[in-house]
Amino acid sequence: MNLNRSSHKLALSITASIMAACGAQAYDVPLTSINTNLPPIDFHGFISQGFLKSSDYNYLGDTKAGSFQFTEMGINAAFDPFPRTHIAIQGFDYDVGDVGQYQPFLDYASAEYTFNDYVGVRAGRVRRPNGIYNSIQDIDLARTSVLLPQGVYDCRWRDFSASIDGVDIFGNVSLDKAGSLSYEVYAGFVNMTDNGGVARNIQNGLPPAPIGGFDGMDQCEAIGSQLWYNTPVNGLRVGLSGGYIENFGYKITIAPPYGPGDIQARDNIPFGMASVEYIWKSWTFQSEYFSYNVSGNQYAFDARVPISYSSTQMEAWYVGAAYRFNKKFEVGTYYTEYYGDVSQMDNSQQFQKDVALSFRYDPTDWWVLKIEGHLIHGTGLLQDNAVNPVRDQNDNAWFMLALKTTFSF
Amino acid sequence: MKSLPVKLGLLFTILCISSFRALALDGAVLIANPGVAAESLSADALKDIYNGKTKYWNGGQAVVIAVLPDKTDAALQQASGMEASQFKTFWQRLAFSGRGQEPKKADDAAALVAYVAATKGAIAIVPADAALTGVKKIEIK
Repeated sequence: MNLNRSSHKLALSITASIMAACGAQAYDVPLTSINTNLPPIDFHGFISQGFLKSSDYNYLGDTKAGSFQFTEMGINAAFDPFPRTHIAIQGFDYDVGDVGQYQPFLDYASAEYTFNDYVGVRAGRVRRPNGIYNSIQDIDLARTSVLLPQGVYDCRWRDFSASIDGVDIFGNVSLDKAGSLSYEVYAGFVNMTDNGGVARNIQNGLPPAPIGGFDGMDQCEAIGSQLWYNTPVNGLRVGLSGGYIENFGYKITIAPPYGPGDIQARDNIPFGMASVEYIWKSWTFQSEYFSYNVSGNQYAFDARVPISYSSTQMEAWYVGAAYRFNKKFEVGTYYTEYYGDVSQMDNSQQFQKDVALSFRYDPTDWWVLKIEGHLIHGTGLLQDNAVNPVRDQNDNAWFMLALKTTFSF
Repeated sequence: MKSLPVKLGLLFTILCISSFRALALDGAVLIANPGVAAESLSADALKDIYNGKTKYWNGGQAVVIAVLPDKTDAALQQASGMEASQFKTFWQRLAFSGRGQEPKKADDAAALVAYVAATKGAIAIVPADAALTGVKKIEIK
Protein backbone atom coordinates (compact mmCIF):
# COMPACT_ATOMS: atom_id res chain seq x y z
CA MET A 1 0.00 0.00 0.00
CA ASN A 2 1.21 3.46 -0.89
CA LEU A 3 2.75 5.03 2.26
CA ASN A 4 1.28 8.45 1.41
CA ARG A 5 -2.23 6.95 1.29
CA SER A 6 -1.66 5.15 4.60
CA SER A 7 -0.68 8.43 6.26
CA HIS A 8 -3.75 10.15 4.88
CA LYS A 9 -6.05 7.37 6.05
CA LEU A 10 -4.54 7.54 9.52
CA ALA A 11 -5.06 11.30 9.59
CA LEU A 12 -8.63 10.79 8.42
CA SER A 13 -9.36 8.31 11.20
CA ILE A 14 -7.81 10.48 13.91
CA THR A 15 -9.63 13.60 12.74
CA ALA A 16 -12.97 11.83 12.54
CA SER A 17 -12.48 10.46 16.05
CA ILE A 18 -11.67 13.89 17.45
CA MET A 19 -14.71 15.37 15.75
CA ALA A 20 -16.92 12.63 17.16
CA ALA A 21 -15.51 13.12 20.65
CA CYS A 22 -16.09 16.86 20.51
CA GLY A 23 -19.60 16.41 19.17
CA ALA A 24 -18.58 18.45 16.10
CA GLN A 25 -20.93 21.23 17.22
CA ALA A 26 -18.56 24.09 16.34
CA TYR A 27 -20.71 25.96 13.81
CA ASP A 28 -19.06 29.21 14.83
CA VAL A 29 -15.47 29.89 15.73
CA PRO A 30 -15.51 33.58 16.58
CA LEU A 31 -12.15 35.19 16.03
CA THR A 32 -13.62 38.26 17.63
CA SER A 33 -13.62 36.62 21.05
CA ILE A 34 -10.38 38.51 21.66
CA ASN A 35 -10.86 41.69 19.61
CA THR A 36 -14.47 42.67 19.02
CA ASN A 37 -13.46 45.12 16.27
CA LEU A 38 -12.57 42.32 13.86
CA PRO A 39 -15.23 40.77 11.66
CA PRO A 40 -16.14 37.23 12.72
CA ILE A 41 -14.63 34.46 10.63
CA ASP A 42 -16.65 31.32 10.03
CA PHE A 43 -14.84 28.01 9.74
CA HIS A 44 -16.42 24.85 8.39
CA GLY A 45 -15.16 21.57 7.09
CA PHE A 46 -15.97 17.99 6.26
CA ILE A 47 -14.39 14.59 5.78
CA SER A 48 -16.03 11.88 3.66
CA GLN A 49 -14.87 8.32 3.35
CA GLY A 50 -16.48 5.88 0.98
CA PHE A 51 -16.27 2.28 -0.13
CA LEU A 52 -17.11 0.97 -3.60
CA LYS A 53 -17.62 -2.63 -4.66
CA SER A 54 -18.67 -3.74 -8.13
CA SER A 55 -19.72 -7.12 -9.43
CA ASP A 56 -17.94 -6.66 -12.76
CA TYR A 57 -15.35 -4.19 -14.03
CA ASN A 58 -13.25 -1.76 -12.09
CA TYR A 59 -15.18 1.49 -12.02
CA LEU A 60 -14.02 4.57 -10.10
CA GLY A 61 -11.13 2.56 -8.72
CA ASP A 62 -10.19 -1.09 -8.17
CA THR A 63 -13.77 -1.82 -7.24
CA LYS A 64 -14.01 -5.47 -8.20
CA ALA A 65 -11.96 -6.25 -5.10
CA GLY A 66 -13.62 -3.45 -3.12
CA SER A 67 -12.04 -0.02 -2.87
CA PHE A 68 -11.65 2.52 -0.10
CA GLN A 69 -10.00 4.92 -2.58
CA PHE A 70 -12.95 7.24 -2.33
CA THR A 71 -12.22 10.14 -0.02
CA GLU A 72 -13.01 13.83 0.06
CA MET A 73 -12.12 16.44 2.64
CA GLY A 74 -12.38 20.18 2.73
CA ILE A 75 -11.94 23.06 5.12
CA ASN A 76 -13.12 26.60 4.51
CA ALA A 77 -13.17 30.03 6.04
CA ALA A 78 -15.42 32.98 5.21
CA PHE A 79 -15.93 36.47 6.50
CA ASP A 80 -17.33 39.88 5.57
CA PRO A 81 -14.53 42.42 6.14
CA PHE A 82 -16.38 45.44 4.74
CA PRO A 83 -19.98 46.29 3.86
CA ARG A 84 -21.27 44.20 0.94
CA THR A 85 -17.96 42.35 0.75
CA HIS A 86 -17.48 38.62 1.26
CA ILE A 87 -14.26 36.62 1.22
CA ALA A 88 -14.26 32.84 1.13
CA ILE A 89 -11.53 30.24 0.78
CA GLN A 90 -11.57 26.45 0.79
CA GLY A 91 -8.80 23.89 0.69
CA PHE A 92 -9.67 20.48 -0.69
CA ASP A 93 -8.16 17.03 -0.90
CA TYR A 94 -9.58 13.91 -2.52
CA ASP A 95 -8.92 10.52 -4.02
CA VAL A 96 -11.09 8.49 -6.41
CA GLY A 97 -9.19 5.47 -7.66
CA ASP A 98 -6.06 6.83 -9.31
CA VAL A 99 -7.47 10.36 -9.57
CA GLY A 100 -6.61 13.03 -7.04
CA GLN A 101 -4.30 10.87 -4.94
CA TYR A 102 -4.53 13.01 -1.80
CA GLN A 103 -2.76 16.00 -3.23
CA PRO A 104 -4.35 19.00 -1.47
CA PHE A 105 -5.14 22.08 -3.47
CA LEU A 106 -6.95 25.39 -3.30
CA ASP A 107 -10.56 24.66 -4.18
CA TYR A 108 -11.81 28.21 -4.19
CA ALA A 109 -10.53 31.57 -2.99
CA SER A 110 -12.60 34.55 -3.92
CA ALA A 111 -13.50 38.06 -2.99
CA GLU A 112 -17.04 39.11 -3.68
CA TYR A 113 -18.75 42.48 -3.77
CA THR A 114 -22.54 42.72 -3.97
CA PHE A 115 -23.70 46.06 -5.33
CA ASN A 116 -27.34 45.18 -4.72
CA ASP A 117 -29.66 42.18 -5.12
CA TYR A 118 -29.42 42.58 -8.89
CA VAL A 119 -25.69 42.44 -9.42
CA GLY A 120 -22.53 41.40 -7.69
CA VAL A 121 -19.08 40.34 -8.79
CA ARG A 122 -16.88 37.55 -7.53
CA ALA A 123 -13.23 37.16 -8.53
CA GLY A 124 -10.45 34.70 -7.85
CA ARG A 125 -10.82 30.96 -7.97
CA VAL A 126 -14.56 30.44 -8.06
CA ARG A 127 -16.81 27.42 -8.28
CA ARG A 128 -18.29 27.10 -11.74
CA PRO A 129 -22.13 27.06 -11.90
CA ASN A 130 -23.57 24.43 -14.25
CA GLY A 131 -26.84 22.81 -13.30
CA ILE A 132 -28.03 21.81 -9.86
CA TYR A 133 -24.89 20.14 -8.58
CA ASN A 134 -21.74 21.26 -10.44
CA SER A 135 -20.67 23.85 -7.90
CA ILE A 136 -21.30 21.40 -5.04
CA GLN A 137 -20.50 18.09 -6.75
CA ASP A 138 -18.06 16.91 -4.09
CA ILE A 139 -20.11 17.95 -1.06
CA ASP A 140 -21.52 14.63 0.12
CA LEU A 141 -23.71 16.10 2.83
CA ALA A 142 -25.50 18.33 0.30
CA ARG A 143 -27.38 15.46 -1.38
CA THR A 144 -29.09 12.13 -0.81
CA SER A 145 -26.96 9.91 -3.02
CA VAL A 146 -23.37 8.74 -2.69
CA LEU A 147 -22.70 9.09 -6.40
CA LEU A 148 -24.30 11.76 -8.53
CA PRO A 149 -25.35 10.65 -12.05
CA GLN A 150 -21.84 10.20 -13.35
CA GLY A 151 -22.59 10.95 -16.99
CA VAL A 152 -23.60 14.45 -15.91
CA TYR A 153 -21.31 14.94 -12.89
CA ASP A 154 -18.27 12.70 -13.25
CA CYS A 155 -16.48 12.75 -9.90
CA ARG A 156 -13.17 12.03 -11.64
CA TRP A 157 -13.38 15.20 -13.73
CA ARG A 158 -13.66 17.77 -10.94
CA ASP A 159 -10.34 19.45 -11.82
CA PHE A 160 -11.91 20.30 -15.18
CA SER A 161 -15.49 21.04 -14.16
CA ALA A 162 -15.50 22.43 -10.64
CA SER A 163 -13.69 25.78 -10.67
CA ILE A 164 -12.26 28.56 -12.81
CA ASP A 165 -9.69 31.23 -12.12
CA GLY A 166 -11.53 34.31 -13.23
CA VAL A 167 -14.58 36.43 -12.67
CA ASP A 168 -18.19 35.58 -11.95
CA ILE A 169 -20.98 38.16 -12.16
CA PHE A 170 -24.16 37.18 -10.35
CA GLY A 171 -27.48 38.53 -9.26
CA ASN A 172 -31.16 38.06 -8.74
CA VAL A 173 -33.93 39.89 -10.56
CA SER A 174 -37.39 39.91 -9.06
CA LEU A 175 -40.31 39.44 -11.43
CA ASP A 176 -42.75 40.35 -8.65
CA LYS A 177 -45.59 37.84 -8.66
CA ALA A 178 -44.02 35.99 -11.60
CA GLY A 179 -41.12 34.78 -9.46
CA SER A 180 -37.49 35.74 -10.00
CA LEU A 181 -34.46 35.12 -12.16
CA SER A 182 -31.09 34.18 -10.68
CA TYR A 183 -28.09 34.39 -12.95
CA GLU A 184 -24.37 33.93 -13.06
CA VAL A 185 -22.01 34.76 -15.93
CA TYR A 186 -18.38 33.75 -15.70
CA ALA A 187 -15.13 33.80 -17.60
CA GLY A 188 -11.72 32.54 -16.71
CA PHE A 189 -9.14 29.83 -16.99
CA VAL A 190 -9.37 26.14 -16.20
CA ASN A 191 -6.23 24.58 -14.79
CA MET A 192 -6.32 20.80 -15.00
CA THR A 193 -3.89 18.60 -13.16
CA ASP A 194 -1.83 15.81 -14.67
CA ASN A 195 -3.28 13.35 -12.15
CA GLY A 196 -6.87 14.45 -12.68
CA GLY A 197 -9.67 12.52 -14.33
CA VAL A 198 -9.32 14.20 -17.71
CA ALA A 199 -5.61 13.44 -17.86
CA ARG A 200 -6.23 9.84 -16.79
CA ASN A 201 -8.90 9.47 -19.47
CA ILE A 202 -6.50 10.71 -22.14
CA GLN A 203 -3.78 8.39 -20.92
CA ASN A 204 -6.29 5.55 -20.98
CA GLY A 205 -6.66 5.97 -24.74
CA LEU A 206 -2.94 5.85 -25.50
CA PRO A 207 -0.91 2.83 -26.54
CA PRO A 208 1.21 1.45 -23.72
CA ALA A 209 4.66 2.88 -23.11
CA PRO A 210 7.12 3.23 -24.75
CA ILE A 211 4.94 3.74 -27.80
CA GLY A 212 2.46 6.07 -26.11
CA GLY A 213 3.24 8.84 -23.69
CA PHE A 214 1.44 11.65 -21.91
CA ASP A 215 3.17 15.00 -21.58
CA GLY A 216 0.69 17.15 -19.68
CA MET A 217 -2.50 19.20 -19.74
CA ASP A 218 -2.65 22.79 -20.92
CA GLN A 219 -4.55 25.64 -19.36
CA CYS A 220 -7.77 26.43 -21.25
CA GLU A 221 -10.30 29.23 -21.28
CA ALA A 222 -13.93 28.98 -20.20
CA ILE A 223 -16.92 31.22 -20.49
CA GLY A 224 -20.41 30.36 -19.47
CA SER A 225 -23.59 31.22 -17.69
CA GLN A 226 -26.27 29.79 -15.46
CA LEU A 227 -29.82 31.09 -15.41
CA TRP A 228 -32.47 29.93 -12.95
CA TYR A 229 -36.11 30.84 -13.21
CA ASN A 230 -37.52 30.61 -9.70
CA THR A 231 -41.19 30.21 -10.51
CA PRO A 232 -44.04 31.51 -8.38
CA VAL A 233 -44.80 27.89 -7.52
CA ASN A 234 -43.02 27.41 -4.22
CA GLY A 235 -40.10 25.01 -4.63
CA LEU A 236 -40.16 24.87 -8.44
CA ARG A 237 -37.27 26.22 -10.45
CA VAL A 238 -36.12 25.71 -14.02
CA GLY A 239 -32.56 26.29 -15.18
CA LEU A 240 -30.49 26.68 -18.32
CA SER A 241 -26.73 26.76 -18.36
CA GLY A 242 -24.12 26.63 -21.03
CA GLY A 243 -20.78 27.78 -22.15
CA TYR A 244 -17.69 27.27 -24.22
CA ILE A 245 -14.33 25.81 -23.33
CA GLU A 246 -11.65 27.04 -25.70
CA ASN A 247 -8.18 25.66 -26.32
CA PHE A 248 -8.70 22.50 -24.28
CA GLY A 249 -5.24 21.15 -24.94
CA TYR A 250 -2.85 18.40 -24.02
CA LYS A 251 0.40 16.91 -25.28
CA ILE A 252 0.93 13.25 -26.01
CA THR A 253 3.46 11.10 -27.84
CA ILE A 254 2.89 8.31 -30.27
CA ALA A 255 6.37 7.13 -31.11
CA PRO A 256 7.38 6.39 -34.71
CA PRO A 257 6.76 4.32 -36.67
CA TYR A 258 3.35 4.00 -35.01
CA GLY A 259 2.76 7.74 -34.94
CA PRO A 260 4.24 11.15 -35.65
CA GLY A 261 6.02 11.50 -32.34
CA ASP A 262 4.95 14.49 -30.23
CA ILE A 263 1.36 15.57 -30.74
CA GLN A 264 -0.42 18.69 -29.52
CA ALA A 265 -4.18 18.33 -29.32
CA ARG A 266 -6.40 21.37 -29.10
CA ASP A 267 -10.16 21.09 -28.75
CA ASN A 268 -13.12 23.37 -28.25
CA ILE A 269 -16.05 22.25 -26.15
CA PRO A 270 -19.46 23.92 -26.36
CA PHE A 271 -21.83 22.58 -23.70
CA GLY A 272 -25.33 23.08 -22.41
CA MET A 273 -27.52 21.86 -19.55
CA ALA A 274 -31.25 22.05 -18.86
CA SER A 275 -32.45 21.51 -15.30
CA VAL A 276 -35.66 21.32 -13.36
CA GLU A 277 -36.07 20.93 -9.62
CA TYR A 278 -39.26 20.75 -7.57
CA ILE A 279 -39.19 20.62 -3.80
CA TRP A 280 -42.63 19.86 -2.41
CA LYS A 281 -43.03 19.17 1.30
CA SER A 282 -40.60 16.33 2.05
CA TRP A 283 -40.15 15.42 -1.61
CA THR A 284 -37.43 16.55 -3.99
CA PHE A 285 -37.79 15.90 -7.72
CA GLN A 286 -34.93 16.63 -10.10
CA SER A 287 -34.12 16.12 -13.75
CA GLU A 288 -31.31 17.36 -15.95
CA TYR A 289 -30.12 16.98 -19.53
CA PHE A 290 -26.49 17.64 -20.42
CA SER A 291 -24.91 17.79 -23.84
CA TYR A 292 -21.44 18.72 -25.02
CA ASN A 293 -19.29 18.42 -28.10
CA VAL A 294 -15.53 17.90 -28.17
CA SER A 295 -14.09 19.00 -31.50
CA GLY A 296 -10.59 19.86 -32.46
CA ASN A 297 -7.36 19.28 -34.24
CA GLN A 298 -4.29 17.28 -33.43
CA TYR A 299 -0.96 18.73 -34.55
CA ALA A 300 2.47 17.21 -34.85
CA PHE A 301 4.27 19.27 -32.25
CA ASP A 302 4.96 22.88 -33.36
CA ALA A 303 3.37 22.18 -36.75
CA ARG A 304 0.84 24.62 -38.09
CA VAL A 305 -1.10 22.17 -40.21
CA PRO A 306 -3.20 19.66 -38.27
CA ILE A 307 -2.63 15.98 -38.87
CA SER A 308 -6.13 14.97 -37.86
CA TYR A 309 -9.50 16.31 -36.76
CA SER A 310 -12.09 14.75 -34.50
CA SER A 311 -15.53 15.67 -33.26
CA THR A 312 -17.62 13.77 -30.75
CA GLN A 313 -21.05 14.66 -29.40
CA MET A 314 -21.89 13.36 -25.96
CA GLU A 315 -25.04 13.57 -23.90
CA ALA A 316 -26.42 12.45 -20.58
CA TRP A 317 -29.59 12.89 -18.58
CA TYR A 318 -31.26 11.75 -15.38
CA VAL A 319 -34.51 11.87 -13.45
CA GLY A 320 -34.54 11.44 -9.71
CA ALA A 321 -36.58 11.78 -6.57
CA ALA A 322 -35.90 11.80 -2.84
CA TYR A 323 -38.12 11.68 0.21
CA ARG A 324 -37.13 12.68 3.73
CA PHE A 325 -39.09 10.71 6.31
CA ASN A 326 -37.81 12.63 9.32
CA LYS A 327 -34.75 14.48 10.60
CA LYS A 328 -32.63 11.37 10.35
CA PHE A 329 -33.76 9.27 7.39
CA GLU A 330 -33.99 9.97 3.68
CA VAL A 331 -34.42 7.75 0.61
CA GLY A 332 -33.63 8.64 -2.98
CA THR A 333 -33.49 7.11 -6.41
CA TYR A 334 -32.50 8.12 -9.90
CA TYR A 335 -32.26 6.74 -13.41
CA THR A 336 -29.59 8.06 -15.72
CA GLU A 337 -28.29 7.47 -19.23
CA TYR A 338 -24.94 8.50 -20.64
CA TYR A 339 -23.83 8.33 -24.27
CA GLY A 340 -20.16 8.90 -24.98
CA ASP A 341 -20.86 9.20 -28.69
CA VAL A 342 -24.39 9.89 -29.89
CA SER A 343 -23.54 8.37 -33.26
CA GLN A 344 -23.17 5.02 -31.48
CA MET A 345 -26.13 4.96 -29.13
CA ASP A 346 -26.58 1.20 -29.43
CA ASN A 347 -22.97 0.43 -28.57
CA SER A 348 -22.85 -0.78 -24.97
CA GLN A 349 -19.21 0.27 -24.73
CA GLN A 350 -20.28 3.84 -25.47
CA PHE A 351 -23.30 4.10 -23.20
CA GLN A 352 -23.91 3.59 -19.51
CA LYS A 353 -27.40 3.32 -18.04
CA ASP A 354 -27.79 3.27 -14.30
CA VAL A 355 -30.63 2.98 -11.82
CA ALA A 356 -29.64 3.86 -8.26
CA LEU A 357 -31.34 3.48 -4.90
CA SER A 358 -29.92 5.41 -1.95
CA PHE A 359 -30.51 5.46 1.78
CA ARG A 360 -29.23 8.31 3.91
CA TYR A 361 -29.17 8.31 7.72
CA ASP A 362 -28.16 11.35 9.79
CA PRO A 363 -27.44 10.09 13.34
CA THR A 364 -26.51 13.65 14.35
CA ASP A 365 -26.33 17.08 12.80
CA TRP A 366 -22.68 16.51 11.92
CA TRP A 367 -22.61 12.86 10.84
CA VAL A 368 -24.09 11.28 7.72
CA LEU A 369 -24.22 7.61 6.70
CA LYS A 370 -25.22 6.41 3.25
CA ILE A 371 -25.68 3.10 1.48
CA GLU A 372 -26.50 2.86 -2.19
CA GLY A 373 -26.92 0.27 -4.92
CA HIS A 374 -26.52 0.68 -8.66
CA LEU A 375 -27.80 -1.58 -11.41
CA ILE A 376 -25.83 -0.69 -14.51
CA HIS A 377 -25.99 -1.51 -18.19
CA GLY A 378 -23.10 -0.60 -20.46
CA THR A 379 -19.50 0.35 -19.87
CA GLY A 380 -19.31 3.80 -21.43
CA LEU A 381 -17.91 5.48 -18.32
CA LEU A 382 -15.20 2.97 -17.55
CA GLN A 383 -12.02 4.92 -17.92
CA ASP A 384 -9.18 2.49 -17.43
CA ASN A 385 -8.72 -0.10 -20.17
CA ALA A 386 -5.74 -1.65 -18.40
CA VAL A 387 -7.92 -2.96 -15.57
CA ASN A 388 -10.98 -3.58 -17.74
CA PRO A 389 -9.51 -5.50 -20.66
CA VAL A 390 -12.70 -7.41 -21.43
CA ARG A 391 -16.02 -5.69 -21.81
CA ASP A 392 -19.29 -7.47 -22.28
CA GLN A 393 -20.75 -6.78 -25.68
CA ASN A 394 -24.10 -8.29 -24.79
CA ASP A 395 -25.14 -5.47 -22.47
CA ASN A 396 -25.56 -7.68 -19.41
CA ALA A 397 -26.29 -5.81 -16.21
CA TRP A 398 -23.70 -5.37 -13.48
CA PHE A 399 -23.99 -4.08 -9.95
CA MET A 400 -22.16 -1.62 -7.74
CA LEU A 401 -22.46 -1.05 -4.00
CA ALA A 402 -21.48 2.33 -2.58
CA LEU A 403 -21.08 3.17 1.12
CA LYS A 404 -20.09 6.54 2.50
CA THR A 405 -19.83 8.39 5.78
CA THR A 406 -19.27 12.11 6.30
CA PHE A 407 -18.35 14.16 9.34
CA SER A 408 -18.82 17.90 9.14
CA PHE A 409 -18.42 20.94 11.34
CA MET B 1 -60.80 18.02 -25.26
CA LYS B 2 -57.89 20.07 -23.87
CA SER B 3 -54.39 19.22 -25.07
CA LEU B 4 -51.60 18.25 -22.67
CA PRO B 5 -49.83 21.66 -22.88
CA VAL B 6 -53.10 23.41 -22.03
CA LYS B 7 -53.70 21.08 -19.07
CA LEU B 8 -50.15 21.65 -17.80
CA GLY B 9 -50.63 25.40 -18.17
CA LEU B 10 -53.85 25.29 -16.14
CA LEU B 11 -52.14 23.21 -13.43
CA PHE B 12 -49.22 25.66 -13.30
CA THR B 13 -51.65 28.59 -12.97
CA ILE B 14 -53.55 26.87 -10.16
CA LEU B 15 -50.29 26.13 -8.32
CA CYS B 16 -49.19 29.77 -8.77
CA ILE B 17 -52.46 31.10 -7.40
CA SER B 18 -52.34 28.74 -4.44
CA SER B 19 -48.83 30.03 -3.61
CA PHE B 20 -50.04 33.60 -3.11
CA ARG B 21 -50.85 34.00 0.56
CA ALA B 22 -50.28 36.36 3.42
CA LEU B 23 -47.68 35.16 5.92
CA ALA B 24 -48.29 34.74 9.65
CA LEU B 25 -45.56 32.77 11.41
CA ASP B 26 -46.93 29.83 13.30
CA GLY B 27 -46.36 30.44 17.03
CA ALA B 28 -43.32 32.56 16.35
CA VAL B 29 -42.18 36.10 15.72
CA LEU B 30 -39.45 37.64 13.60
CA ILE B 31 -36.77 39.61 15.40
CA ALA B 32 -33.71 41.56 14.29
CA ASN B 33 -30.78 43.42 15.72
CA PRO B 34 -31.75 47.00 16.69
CA GLY B 35 -29.32 48.31 14.09
CA VAL B 36 -31.42 46.85 11.28
CA ALA B 37 -33.36 49.76 9.76
CA ALA B 38 -36.33 47.73 8.50
CA GLU B 39 -39.45 47.85 10.64
CA SER B 40 -41.37 45.42 8.43
CA LEU B 41 -40.75 42.97 5.63
CA SER B 42 -43.02 41.52 3.02
CA ALA B 43 -43.37 37.76 2.86
CA ASP B 44 -41.45 37.78 -0.43
CA ALA B 45 -38.63 39.90 1.01
CA LEU B 46 -38.41 37.58 4.01
CA LYS B 47 -38.24 34.56 1.73
CA ASP B 48 -35.48 36.20 -0.32
CA ILE B 49 -33.48 36.63 2.88
CA TYR B 50 -33.95 33.05 4.02
CA ASN B 51 -33.18 31.77 0.51
CA GLY B 52 -29.94 33.74 0.28
CA LYS B 53 -31.08 36.00 -2.55
CA THR B 54 -30.87 39.07 -0.33
CA LYS B 55 -27.53 39.02 1.45
CA TYR B 56 -27.25 42.61 2.66
CA TRP B 57 -29.48 45.15 4.31
CA ASN B 58 -29.90 48.50 2.57
CA GLY B 59 -26.98 50.05 4.43
CA GLY B 60 -24.59 47.30 3.28
CA GLN B 61 -24.55 45.35 6.53
CA ALA B 62 -24.52 41.60 5.93
CA VAL B 63 -27.69 39.73 6.79
CA VAL B 64 -26.84 37.23 9.52
CA ILE B 65 -29.46 34.51 9.87
CA ALA B 66 -29.72 32.71 13.18
CA VAL B 67 -31.96 29.70 13.81
CA LEU B 68 -33.37 27.74 16.71
CA PRO B 69 -33.48 24.12 15.44
CA ASP B 70 -36.53 21.98 16.22
CA LYS B 71 -38.45 24.64 18.14
CA THR B 72 -39.35 26.95 15.23
CA ASP B 73 -39.19 24.54 12.27
CA ALA B 74 -42.80 25.19 11.24
CA ALA B 75 -42.29 28.96 11.20
CA LEU B 76 -38.97 28.56 9.39
CA GLN B 77 -40.75 26.58 6.70
CA GLN B 78 -43.32 29.31 6.35
CA ALA B 79 -40.62 31.93 5.97
CA SER B 80 -38.29 30.05 3.64
CA GLY B 81 -40.59 27.61 1.86
CA MET B 82 -38.25 24.78 2.90
CA GLU B 83 -38.51 22.11 5.55
CA ALA B 84 -35.82 22.24 8.22
CA SER B 85 -33.61 19.55 6.67
CA GLN B 86 -33.95 21.11 3.21
CA PHE B 87 -33.07 24.52 4.68
CA LYS B 88 -29.97 23.09 6.30
CA THR B 89 -28.88 21.35 3.08
CA PHE B 90 -29.54 24.50 1.05
CA TRP B 91 -27.26 26.59 3.22
CA GLN B 92 -24.60 23.91 3.39
CA ARG B 93 -24.51 23.99 -0.40
CA LEU B 94 -24.00 27.75 -0.40
CA ALA B 95 -21.38 27.65 2.35
CA PHE B 96 -19.28 24.88 0.82
CA SER B 97 -19.33 26.49 -2.63
CA GLY B 98 -18.17 29.87 -1.31
CA ARG B 99 -21.48 31.58 -1.97
CA GLY B 100 -22.75 32.14 1.54
CA GLN B 101 -22.40 31.43 5.23
CA GLU B 102 -24.46 28.91 7.15
CA PRO B 103 -27.02 30.29 9.60
CA LYS B 104 -25.89 30.40 13.20
CA LYS B 105 -27.55 27.90 15.53
CA ALA B 106 -28.63 28.52 19.08
CA ASP B 107 -29.59 25.96 21.72
CA ASP B 108 -32.47 27.91 23.25
CA ALA B 109 -34.56 31.02 22.72
CA ALA B 110 -32.71 33.12 25.28
CA ALA B 111 -29.35 32.39 23.63
CA LEU B 112 -30.82 33.16 20.22
CA VAL B 113 -32.24 36.48 21.36
CA ALA B 114 -28.94 37.39 23.02
CA TYR B 115 -27.05 36.55 19.82
CA VAL B 116 -29.36 38.66 17.68
CA ALA B 117 -29.10 41.54 20.15
CA ALA B 118 -25.29 41.44 19.98
CA THR B 119 -24.81 40.83 16.26
CA LYS B 120 -25.11 43.52 13.64
CA GLY B 121 -27.43 42.55 10.83
CA ALA B 122 -28.82 39.52 12.64
CA ILE B 123 -32.34 38.23 12.05
CA ALA B 124 -34.10 35.25 13.57
CA ILE B 125 -37.42 33.53 14.15
CA VAL B 126 -38.12 32.91 17.84
CA PRO B 127 -41.06 31.40 19.74
CA ALA B 128 -43.81 33.93 20.33
CA ASP B 129 -43.41 33.69 24.11
CA ALA B 130 -39.67 34.43 24.11
CA ALA B 131 -38.43 37.46 26.02
CA LEU B 132 -37.31 39.95 23.37
CA THR B 133 -34.64 41.78 25.35
CA GLY B 134 -32.39 43.99 23.26
CA VAL B 135 -33.94 43.14 19.88
CA LYS B 136 -36.64 44.61 17.69
CA LYS B 137 -39.67 42.83 16.39
CA ILE B 138 -40.13 42.89 12.62
CA GLU B 139 -43.64 42.93 11.25
CA ILE B 140 -44.37 40.68 8.30
CA LYS B 141 -46.74 42.20 5.77
